[in-house]
Amino acid sequence: MTDLLNILIFLPLAVGILLFLVPDKLRIWKGSAAFAVTLLVLFAAIRIYGAEEVIVPLIQQVQGSAFLTQFTHTLQEFTVLNMNALSKLILLFLAVLAPLIGLYSIYREKNADFPAHFYSWFLITLGCSAGTVLAENLLLFLFFWGVLGYTLYKLIAQNDEASSASAKKTLIIIGSSDALMIIGIGLIWNIAGTLNISELSIATTGGPAVMAFLLLAIGAFTKAGAFPFHTWILNFTEKAHGLSSAYMPASFDKLIGIYFLALLCSRIFELNQWLVFALLIIGVCTIIFAVMMALIQHNFKKLLGYHAVSQVGYMIVGISLGSPLGIAAGLFHMFNNAVYKGGLFLTAASVERRTGTSDIDKTGGLASKMPLTFIAAVVFALSISGIPPLNGFASKWMIYQGIVDFGQQSGIASQLWIIWLALAVFGSALTLASFIKYVSGIFLGRKKEIYEKIKEVGLLQWIPMMLLAVICIWFGAFATEYVIKELFMPVSGTFAFVGIWDSSLLLWLVVASIVVGFLIYWIGSLKNMRKVEPFIGGEKADETQGYPITGFYHTLRKSRYLAFFYARAEEKWFDIYDLFKGFVLWTNKGFSTIHTGVLTTYAFWIYGGLAIILLLLIL
Amino acid sequence: MELIPALYIILPLLGAFLIPIVGHFVKGFQKTLSVLITLFLVVYSVWFYVVGYDAPAVTKVGGWEAVKGIPIAIYLVYDGLSAFILLTVNLIAFLSTFYAMGYIKRFTAENNFYALLCLMIAGMNGVVLSGDIFNIYVFLEIAVIASYALVAFGTEKRELEASFKYQVLGGIASLLILFAVGLLYWQTQTLNLADISAILQYEDQSTALIFTEVLLIVGFGLKAAMIPFHAWLPDAHSSAPSPISAMLSGVLIKAVGVYALIRLFFNIFTITYELTLVIIVLGTLSMVIGVLLAIGQWDLKRLLAYHSISQMGYVVIGVGIGMMIIFEDGNRTVAALSIAGGLFHLINHAVFKGLLFLDAGAIEYLAGTRNLKELGGLSRKMPVTSSTSLGASMAISGVPPFNGFFSKLLIIIAAVRAEFYLLAALAVFVNFVTLGSFMKFIRYAFFNLKESGVSLIKLRLPFSMKFSMITMVILCVLMSLMVFPFFREILLNPAVDVLMNTGEYASKIIGS
Repeated sequence: MTDLLNILIFLPLAVGILLFLVPDKLRIWKGSAAFAVTLLVLFAAIRIYGAEEVIVPLIQQVQGSAFLTQFTHTLQEFTVLNMNALSKLILLFLAVLAPLIGLYSIYREKNADFPAHFYSWFLITLGCSAGTVLAENLLLFLFFWGVLGYTLYKLIAQNDEASSASAKKTLIIIGSSDALMIIGIGLIWNIAGTLNISELSIATTGGPAVMAFLLLAIGAFTKAGAFPFHTWILNFTEKAHGLSSAYMPASFDKLIGIYFLALLCSRIFELNQWLVFALLIIGVCTIIFAVMMALIQHNFKKLLGYHAVSQVGYMIVGISLGSPLGIAAGLFHMFNNAVYKGGLFLTAASVERRTGTSDIDKTGGLASKMPLTFIAAVVFALSISGIPPLNGFASKWMIYQGIVDFGQQSGIASQLWIIWLALAVFGSALTLASFIKYVSGIFLGRKKEIYEKIKEVGLLQWIPMMLLAVICIWFGAFATEYVIKELFMPVSGTFAFVGIWDSSLLLWLVVASIVVGFLIYWIGSLKNMRKVEPFIGGEKADETQGYPITGFYHTLRKSRYLAFFYARAEEKWFDIYDLFKGFVLWTNKGFSTIHTGVLTTYAFWIYGGLAIILLLLIL
Repeated sequence: MELIPALYIILPLLGAFLIPIVGHFVKGFQKTLSVLITLFLVVYSVWFYVVGYDAPAVTKVGGWEAVKGIPIAIYLVYDGLSAFILLTVNLIAFLSTFYAMGYIKRFTAENNFYALLCLMIAGMNGVVLSGDIFNIYVFLEIAVIASYALVAFGTEKRELEASFKYQVLGGIASLLILFAVGLLYWQTQTLNLADISAILQYEDQSTALIFTEVLLIVGFGLKAAMIPFHAWLPDAHSSAPSPISAMLSGVLIKAVGVYALIRLFFNIFTITYELTLVIIVLGTLSMVIGVLLAIGQWDLKRLLAYHSISQMGYVVIGVGIGMMIIFEDGNRTVAALSIAGGLFHLINHAVFKGLLFLDAGAIEYLAGTRNLKELGGLSRKMPVTSSTSLGASMAISGVPPFNGFFSKLLIIIAAVRAEFYLLAALAVFVNFVTLGSFMKFIRYAFFNLKESGVSLIKLRLPFSMKFSMITMVILCVLMSLMVFPFFREILLNPAVDVLMNTGEYASKIIGS
């Protein structure tokens, strides 16, 4: 067991630190080493998944000199790891995703936005993520969790004004939420007298307990990217390399943030109905607001960023339901999201690498040039939009089932179940609407002349994308038979599905309908098929006449009721970071104006301070 | 080997007097001697941590024993707390001096620089070791007068103005302290700290005593740059040559300000509710207002200087919360945690703030400016400065795995455990703003532009500058280990014990 744990945590950290010494010119070699490490981690995670549930110290006491014995003994107390069903599952997910991202990253050419020492930070992130998931003590957890914020910051190449501003904003928001969590941990220590996660079970009745829950939940929300703490994700995904976005905000941060939220809701605290109500409101707000913003984006990386936020809403809704069905649904959606959103960012990275732009208006018609990327992107897009029989449908369906089931209970949040359900379904429809833009804007439509010569990405890049697409299909097709039963029920507890739903049957039905559709198409029209230029009122189509897909969505931006909010949102009225910054700079101005630099004023402050203290203490 | 506390004062004083004379004839003498002296003192401090010593080690200058229990000689007291502060002071002194070897070449009058630096170190060591309040005053004056001269070392308009302000305001503080020393002598007929403590134990808080205590709070509070007594600091710390800024911000405000406050109010005077409250309020004001002032600065060293005010606030509230718990007879573990957090933050701040000033010096050395608006894109051209600055910035902003995270963690958790919720919330708020302003520094100095915004006036940093910077960033990571009980027992706990057992100071020292 100890060897496996060493491979999981220390090996990535050690290799990551060693790779700092290797110059970035040897990128292929560094990438291969990192990939080898991720494979070892995957091996260890599978072995641990099969092993029994134990609580063991990470560092064994070393017998040797008195100093060494004592020192390792001390460390032993502080580095206890807990391998329970939930943490082993999340660990497995982390370990499955890491090699795919690692494999994708291995290519030769240089981009300016590829972060320096990418592989070091990649591996350190992996080791610390494993540590976060396994930590038994909340302080050890916070340590690993905090390091992840720092590695996230290092995964953006700060090569110009906008990207360095994004990096700055990301670390400020993440770091601040980590600091808030310290207070939450202190409160838990006061209430329960221990910080061991497995020994905690706190009823959220008193003020301190509710406060502790909220503060820790803010940490989870920020990391996963829930409204209103999500704004860093948008700046990060817009400016970072697609690979970094696929790695951290799209998959690892979701896995870890939602893991912690699940831990908070189901293990550490027992939620009261008002907290459930608050969580559901945050969940649906996240779904709706983010997807509304996604609709009007022109930058496809930023569009994906908004969806990375929107999907978190579903996970929060699922987990806050509190029932085994809800928790399983939330965790299932978390993993599905990591797969398709990671995949989408990889397709975005491929497109940006080949075309050099991330603007939907400037791309188009790439399907014939990059067919594999196109197929993968379609699978991911359908999956995120909740189209059966893909995995996104399966988990969203379970969340809907969970909400219906939740409606049977008493309590304020349950009474309103129809609202939660309606908003969740509505959000899914809007997701589909915005992914039509993604797929058709990039891959369909008129091909631009400048893109005549571009090629499909290399083998090492399309293999990970295809594997992710296969996971999407497989997890969707066998959701009820295998995936839920074998992977998620051990974590959430067993439950029965609400209503009739058989994912394999659904798969066959969908496949059959597609096949029948093709047959009809072929029989009816194959002979008569011809290719013509699109008819545009007799005019001759040329390059200058573009009909970008994004124009289609302008209606929405200009609609009477939404225009106001869209305009304000783009002025950052709703961005918690800018609001806070405005407040701090305003106070700064106030304090700076009274620092005039006049010596007598300063001397007066000293005597004034002295006088005030004397008055208070002696009178 | 026997512990001789007086060496901490004698050696730098010797250096200060030898350098102007011998340095005049022997080339390179001033650098070599001051580096050797400071290095020796660091090794000496570490050595006694490793082998241990009989605490407290008391030297009676002149060898005069106490008569009928009344101490006559001047006492030098080397206990857990002094040892801890001495380690901090001499460590930063060594690294700054080593850094200065490469940096200070561009100034004339190197001899004067090193002589003044040695004098300042002697003064600080003296304050920390002295067991006698009048000698604390004397050594304090030695340290700050040397620092007045060092602030003015650039002898441009800016530096002279800063030094002038510093002298006037520092003079007010010295006056208040001297006045308080006189009042104390009038009330207790002694100047020996242990003796004062023994006498005051049996007396009620008279108005005269409270008046004296307030004078001392204001006087030492000014040296520690507590708001509203802080106004001299931003000018003085930003105008000094960078290694001196590192010393001033890193250790001077701690040794002659915070240390003296802690020593007097824990070990000498009886802890009262009102005084503790005043100390906590001063700490909170410094912590909050200091950071709000800092974030708007575009002069790098001014930004760092304002952060010193804010970070000292953390140290003071950490120790203040401990004081309040001791006064209320509360949970002693929490009190110890809080004080440990404060002292831990003190040594951490010395290291990362020292490093940040050295980095600022490196930027000024190569780019010729420290205005953040003119800098940018330096990360490729200055990899060492860029990575050490990032490490130190993360440390001061409390991001793991750097040392600042752990000390802030201890302070905030202790505040929550002692149910000082407002203080905990403010400490977290200040941490946000700190992180924000250091991200601003990193972004505008090292990134933001594709190519570096300024043309570099020199191409390479001297080895000595790089060595100090790299050593300190390694320390920023390694010192995190002090949070584990094993290292905590060696380094922090002796100091915490001195403060926790408030009444034992007198009996231990007079008894020995």
